[in-house]
Amino acid sequence: MKKTLSIILIIALALSSAFAGGASESNANEVYFLNFKPEIADVYTDIVAPAFEEETGLSLRVVTAASNQYQTTLRSEMAKSNPPVIFQVNGPVGVQAFTNDVAPLEDTGFYALLADKSMAIEQNGHVVGIPYAVEGYGIIYNDAIMRKYFALPDKAVDISSADEIRNFATLKAVVEDMTKHLDELGIKGVFASTSMASGTDWRWQTHLFNMPLWKEFGDILTTTEASTFEFTYNENYKALWDLYLDNSTTAKGMVSAKTDADSMAEFALGQCAMVQNGNWGAAQILGQAGNVVASEDIKFLPLYMGFEGEESQGLCVGTENYLSINIHASDEAKKNADTFLTWLFSSETGKKIVKENLMFITPFNSFTEEELPEDPLAKEVNRWMNMDGVTSVPWAFQGIPSEQWKQDFGGALLQYINGSMDWNAVVEIARNSWSVEAEIAGR
Amino acid sequence: MKKKNISTYILLLLMLIFAAFVLFPILVVLINSFKGRLFISSEPFSIPKGDAFVGMTNYTEGLAKTGFFSAFGYSLWITVASVAIILLLTSMLAWYITRVKGIVTQIIYYALVFSMIVPFQMVMFTMSKIANMLSLDNPVGIIILYVGFGAGMASFMFSGFIKGIPLALEEAAMIDGAGPVTTFFQVVLPMLKSTAVTIAILNTMWIWNDYLMPYLTIGTNYRTIPVAIQYLRGGYGAVDMGAMMAMLVLAMVPVIIFYLVCQKHIIKGVLAGAVKG
Amino acid sequence: MEKSIKKYFALFALPALICFLISFVIPFIWGFVLSFCEFTTITDVTFVGFKNYVRAFTVDNYFTHAFFFTLAFAIVSVITINIIAFALALALTRSIPGTNAFRTIFFMPNLIGGIVLGWIWQVIINGVLAYFEKTIAVDAAYGFWGLVVLMNWQNVGYMMVIYIAAIQNIPTDMLEAADIDGANYWTKLRKIIIPAVMPSITICLFLTTTNGFKLYDQNLALTAGNPNHQTEMLALNIFNTFYSRIGFEGVGQAKAVIFTILVAMIALLQLYTTRRKEIEN
Repeated sequence: MKKTLSIILIIALALSSAFAGGASESNANEVYFLNFKPEIADVYTDIVAPAFEEETGLSLRVVTAASNQYQTTLRSEMAKSNPPVIFQVNGPVGVQAFTNDVAPLEDTGFYALLADKSMAIEQNGHVVGIPYAVEGYGIIYNDAIMRKYFALPDKAVDISSADEIRNFATLKAVVEDMTKHLDELGIKGVFASTSMASGTDWRWQTHLFNMPLWKEFGDILTTTEASTFEFTYNENYKALWDLYLDNSTTAKGMVSAKTDADSMAEFALGQCAMVQNGNWGAAQILGQAGNVVASEDIKFLPLYMGFEGEESQGLCVGTENYLSINIHASDEAKKNADTFLTWLFSSETGKKIVKENLMFITPFNSFTEEELPEDPLAKEVNRWMNMDGVTSVPWAFQGIPSEQWKQDFGGALLQYINGSMDWNAVVEIARNSWSVEAEIAGR
Repeated sequence: MKKKNISTYILLLLMLIFAAFVLFPILVVLINSFKGRLFISSEPFSIPKGDAFVGMTNYTEGLAKTGFFSAFGYSLWITVASVAIILLLTSMLAWYITRVKGIVTQIIYYALVFSMIVPFQMVMFTMSKIANMLSLDNPVGIIILYVGFGAGMASFMFSGFIKGIPLALEEAAMIDGAGPVTTFFQVVLPMLKSTAVTIAILNTMWIWNDYLMPYLTIGTNYRTIPVAIQYLRGGYGAVDMGAMMAMLVLAMVPVIIFYLVCQKHIIKGVLAGAVKG
Repeated sequence: MEKSIKKYFALFALPALICFLISFVIPFIWGFVLSFCEFTTITDVTFVGFKNYVRAFTVDNYFTHAFFFTLAFAIVSVITINIIAFALALALTRSIPGTNAFRTIFFMPNLIGGIVLGWIWQVIINGVLAYFEKTIAVDAAYGFWGLVVLMNWQNVGYMMVIYIAAIQNIPTDMLEAADIDGANYWTKLRKIIIPAVMPSITICLFLTTTNGFKLYDQNLALTAGNPNHQTEMLALNIFNTFYSRIGFEGVGQAKAVIFTILVAMIALLQLYTTRRKEIEN
């Protein structure tokens, strides 16, 4: 008895000291990248990492944070003994939260690739964040279903194609009339589920909300400095929000169980005609098993919500994808991180992966016109950006004072859907939480 | 006599109803583990047939997504090793602080008792930081954390029992020339067997089912069963309910087998734990 | 003898004490200190006095809400669990067939872990609510009653086992004497059984109260606090303050201190009542 026990004890202690010694050694040839985008996590691990290792001999370790958990994951990973070398910040506010962790990037090969240097984030005269993907979002629609609708003999609108929807009034008329013809169109609802499962409400509390925010403040910088927020255009927000909810595939009581992935699946399976999302969703549509939507039928509409002169309003185009390098990493690790990013965005193999698998619209001079992604939504973003008489809407939501504000607003939206909060209370929460969070952020 | 019969039947009926209430959720999960994920939310209480029946798909997908076998391995290793070391180290500690009277041992005793009532949230943040700093964030290091956090209850129960053992036995051994080590392992330890079984059972239930400590300390790299199950959510925003059902079944099976085999000890153990704790 | 043992401190006491220091004593003291500090990384700490304690209640009202939600949950679940468990114990100590089988079945859920339990009940409750085109996240009341049912399901068997043991310990001659006096069942229950099992009732009340206050895993897996923090209990609120809000680690730690005091008070109250009972007897 005594012998066995003491042997167990000795083995356990020996093992634990062995682990203790081994675990803290970090591999200098390994680039640790904390990825923000769950939808392309597999591309990094299955395609990017092996290719990078084969061509440079360095290895790449990609960890992907759970949906909507990036900030907290980054925070806890940064505090560990082997922190990420490359991480993402979502704009000026993001840099503020990691102000002591971002390394200067002026001398990197990666920065040299950036075509428009003004797009980078600066802090105290140093470049600390470099954008790697420009994105656009709006309402994605399935033109095949729209054509079917416009061919109906008893349609209630005068226009004859989705291209002609250029304001909220028309959109509303079309959508509500489509809801009357669900069976003929073979869909369950005009809009995909309004996903409100926890962690998946960013399409509403951030992206859709960008519209009234931009309208109130005008640009990103003003938004970033705003200490109070009136929500002047809350009725416009509500108009489009209600349209989504009232013409959806899913009853209001069930949306709290739906995720953005569910919504994209519904769109891909032809159960709905429209879904609000961005060009990053192309992979989710085309990669869905049983996808029935033809590539050429996937189109974009701007988020019309009844603003004056919205005929000239384009998609919301911008980026919240800036990469930063950890200042606390060893010089060699920083150099390897730069090697990786430069390789990814300028080598032939890297660019091919970016175009075909990651599907980024990049802001780098290393990419030619032919090397832009060929997925339908990226093409649509380009089409809208270059359309005459149309101006893209900037991503003012980068100026939202904190992640907490988004959670507060998202929570209020859910209670509004469930009928346990009226719209005025939602507006009130948006205002109050803004003041509180802006003060905490030091505005 | 007749009245008694009727009331017996009524009672029996009530017991059967309650048994159904207890077994029903487990049954629903079992049934749904063979259903396609879309059918789980639309018709959760129907028998899977036709389109809804997907055979073992949920199991194969769930096993792949969660890495269930490695999670099972980590859970098993962490539980068994932690319980074994808790038993050994805390029985020694309890014997020492019970037999050696003094201010230091008093303080240790009360610190141990105090630790029993402190909720994990109080120490979780700093503990996971320390675990990281000392490189205890691996399946071996976490055992040290479990020993430390389980030390309170285990030493409390051991020392409660040791207080009741007459000193004469130990003194006799020592007079015969045995040192404290021999005395402890050959005289005291064998007497602690029943208390040790109780402590082993309580700690097994705690560590096997524990979620927060492994999640915070080793969760990124090594997932135990509860952590692996919770990760089925989160990961990509969506929950694959099919895989979830299958994994819930797999998580319950070992527990139920363990329970049916050691039922007597388990019930006795929790009973003793409740009364003393 | 004491002296000879004393020399063996390093062998007998030290290994366990080192573990205890690493995982409890140091984290506890450090955590207490940090509750008065503002910090995002552990190297960059500033002393801020009671600011975190004030912020715990002023920045949002979720913590206060979580307190009342937890309190209500604890009260309702303590009452329901103990009444049901006691009733089952009474039934299973009478001569009906299959008592052992029933006991085995009723106790079983207690062994299943909180995360697993939470997901099981989420399926059941969402399954029922789906007939009304709703989910558990629609209304905080669904989450509340869902948690109560879950907690009953898990704990009734455990408390029942304690009550059964207590009832079986009642001397049979006392009950027989009452039978001879012609006392009916309710009189026996009131005059003999309940007073005799009173110590067990105290134990069960405190066990269920503490379990209710500390509940975390089940809360996370069943509702995760939805909708909008409305079903968030204290432990979950503390976790969310720590880990989903940057710059609020100190506030989380302050809330944890308050939570610890609350739980410690319940434990002291238990100690006080059981001690008083012992003196009375």
